Amino acid sequence: MSKGVLLFCFDTEHTQYHKILERCVRLVKKNICNDITVVTNLETYKKLKPLGLINYKLIQPELGNKKNGLPWYNADRHMAYELSPYEKTLVIDIDYFCFTSNLAQMFDTDYDFLVSDTAFDLSNRNSFDARRFSMIPMVWATVLFFKKNHIVKNIFDTVKYVKQHYSYFTEMYRIYAKNFRNDYLFAIALQQANGFVGYEKLPFALPTLPPDCEVLNISNNGLTWKYNDQISFVENQDVHVLNKEVANV
Amino acid sequence: MDISELKKQSDLSYDRAIAKRNALEKANSRLVVVYNEHLFRADPETICLVSTLKKLYDSFCVLDTNNNPVEINDPKDFLSVLVTRNQESINAYQQVYKTFTRRDK
Repeated sequence: MSKGVLLFCFDTEHTQYHKILERCVRLVKKNICNDITVVTNLETYKKLKPLGLINYKLIQPELGNKKNGLPWYNADRHMAYELSPYEKTLVIDIDYFCFTSNLAQMFDTDYDFLVSDTAFDLSNRNSFDARRFSMIPMVWATVLFFKKNHIVKNIFDTVKYVKQHYSYFTEMYRIYAKNFRNDYLFAIALQQANGFVGYEKLPFALPTLPPDCEVLNISNNGLTWKYNDQISFVENQDVHVLNKEVANV
Repeated sequence: MDISELKKQSDLSYDRAIAKRNALEKANSRLVVVYNEHLFRADPETICLVSTLKKLYDSFCVLDTNNNPVEINDPKDFLSVLVTRNQESINAYQQVYKTFTRRDK
């Protein structure tokens, strides 16, 4: 059964996501697997350094979404099922740095679809609890694992349907975020597709560094960050970095 | 103790508390292990359960992290996988913990 990692990467005029991708690919190759497919556009592809044997899929990203007032091309995740050439796929955000092989073992499982429902704030402030306003359990679409079969195809069809009627569903489920987020999209779709009774999850919280933490250094096995006057570091632990300035580190 | 000494002490304690909390979370993440295509946590509860069931039965069922029943036909192998992962994770945590102790001295 083929297995691999699917990554989405589109540069914007403000953020050079391709630099984050280059770092991410190195870590995925080292710790997860060598089969990688990158979904990108021609403009971003042209800027990439040679990354070895990588499968590229060039598409035009969907425009219109914004984050903090700046363009944000994140609205193509719903096509992961069709874009993945693998029977078992790990979809990982490029700002999720895999410093461990923890995710690699997901390929040895037989689950249809796995997603994480919690994030662990590495700066010790529980910054992500604000998402409790909504009426449904939230998920983090940062890491998704899925197997190709008709059940998962139905989940992704539901994701597409929810995306088409995104503002209706966010209103219905009391989700106050004004921009489009894959986390909410998948939370709603999974709730709908699984009969409103829950679904299978990754059994760990995603270690996450909030956007106000400045990454100072990234090595082969960890990173150092600064928050106010405190400097902290992690080693041999996966980290989801929300501060996009990490592209310039 | 002057105020700058107090601030230094307080900052050190804060740094240590965060580092310890993050190291513990890292250890918890590493406890997740795959067996028979299912996810388990190699925590003390699972190890004790499997160890007890192994003494009584040659094969038995346990629940994975998503509450799916999984048949275990080789309890010795399963227990070995759980214990190995548990100790790998806790030993790594101990190494990090030692660095806090050294920093305090």
